[in-house]
Amino acid sequence: MGILHRQRWCGATGLLVPLFTLASPGFLKIAGVAPSWAVLWLLPWALVDGPASGAVAGLALGLVLDGLHLGQVSEAPVLVLLGWWWGRIGRRGAPIERSFSLGLLALMGSALLGASLLLQLHWQGALPLPLAGWHTLAAQSLITALLAPLVCSLLLLRWRQVASLRS
Amino acid sequence: MNGRFSRVPTLQKIAEAWPWWLLLLALVGVRLSKGAFFADGYALLSRPFWPGSAQSEWLRSAQQVSDQSRLADLERDNRRLRQMLQLDRTGPGLVSAAVISREPSGWWQQLELGKGRLDGLSPGDAVLAPGGLIGRVASVTPTTARVALLTDGSSRLGVWVGRTQQHALLLGLGTPRPRLQFLEKDPGVRPGDVVSTSPASTLLPPNLTVGVVQSINEQAVPAPDGLVQLSAPVDAVDWVQVRTKAR
Repeated sequence: MGILHRQRWCGATGLLVPLFTLASPGFLKIAGVAPSWAVLWLLPWALVDGPASGAVAGLALGLVLDGLHLGQVSEAPVLVLLGWWWGRIGRRGAPIERSFSLGLLALMGSALLGASLLLQLHWQGALPLPLAGWHTLAAQSLITALLAPLVCSLLLLRWRQVASLRS
Repeated sequence: MNGRFSRVPTLQKIAEAWPWWLLLLALVGVRLSKGAFFADGYALLSRPFWPGSAQSEWLRSAQQVSDQSRLADLERDNRRLRQMLQLDRTGPGLVSAAVISREPSGWWQQLELGKGRLDGLSPGDAVLAPGGLIGRVASVTPTTARVALLTDGSSRLGVWVGRTQQHALLLGLGTPRPRLQFLEKDPGVRPGDVVSTSPASTLLPPNLTVGVVQSINEQAVPAPDGLVQLSAPVDAVDWVQVRTKAR
């Protein structure tokens, strides 16, 4: 486990995820589809704080977001997986700093999350027309990847500073 | 004798008064034509002073007031008759609520309202916007309510096509236009027909406008289906009205 989770205010920024999900600003949408704020927050958190903290944060976010949506489908499993995966990447390789890398990781994460939701909704019969799901998946992955270099870079920079100071 | 004859008007004098005869003829013409010339002339002269848009607005608003009054009377009558038939289990309660969060596109099509259980809202309540029904309350908290829009993939609603007097099923697809699934092979419905909630509905208030049929697919099996354009603009709604159930 890293040390970021011990900083209360760092963890408190996670509250912005449900807040932004509910507020859903219209100017940050593509074709009416909002970005995955959970992915945008979880990516820098896991990269800085490691796989265990990333998985726990993913689980917490998933549980909160599941409570904000209709139906029984869950975002938690994929967010746990993403938190763990991104945490390993942050621990093992060279520090990720390039905007393209962040955008690519966010794109993959958002696409994986969208694919999981698409499958769950389709299996439950809550999405009779898979084409609508593909449209949402593509639009959400795109807008998340476009915002990642901006949002994730800032969070990554700040949290790395905090982590280096505290260590 | 000569003097008495000289007092009788002669033909010459009658002929000399021809302008007066013409005037008399014109007056007879006016009489016979029911004053057509005068009416047309008056219309021509008074055209700049005819009632303008302001007057027509007054008339229109007066007509609207009259229509609304008639509508209220008819609704009252309808409610009374439905209560006599024991069809009406819903009260007349209407709660206005602000839309505090909206997600009309995306994985879920839902709204979040700024009123909840404390204001009498409960799951299943119909949610109306200017234009018609947009969804039903899916869950409530003490101060908020989550609305599943008719476009959501999980939405299933029995509807009624008034022109053909037929029932159908409105299925949300996750797209802006839900699908109208007919129950019969030859529904006779065509684009432009208005879709509303069933007049015999006990789950939802009856006769609420839902939308307009956009297209029909006659080739679909086992029964034709179509797409419906909802009449209420979900993207632009800031306030809605919730029909609460009677306590």
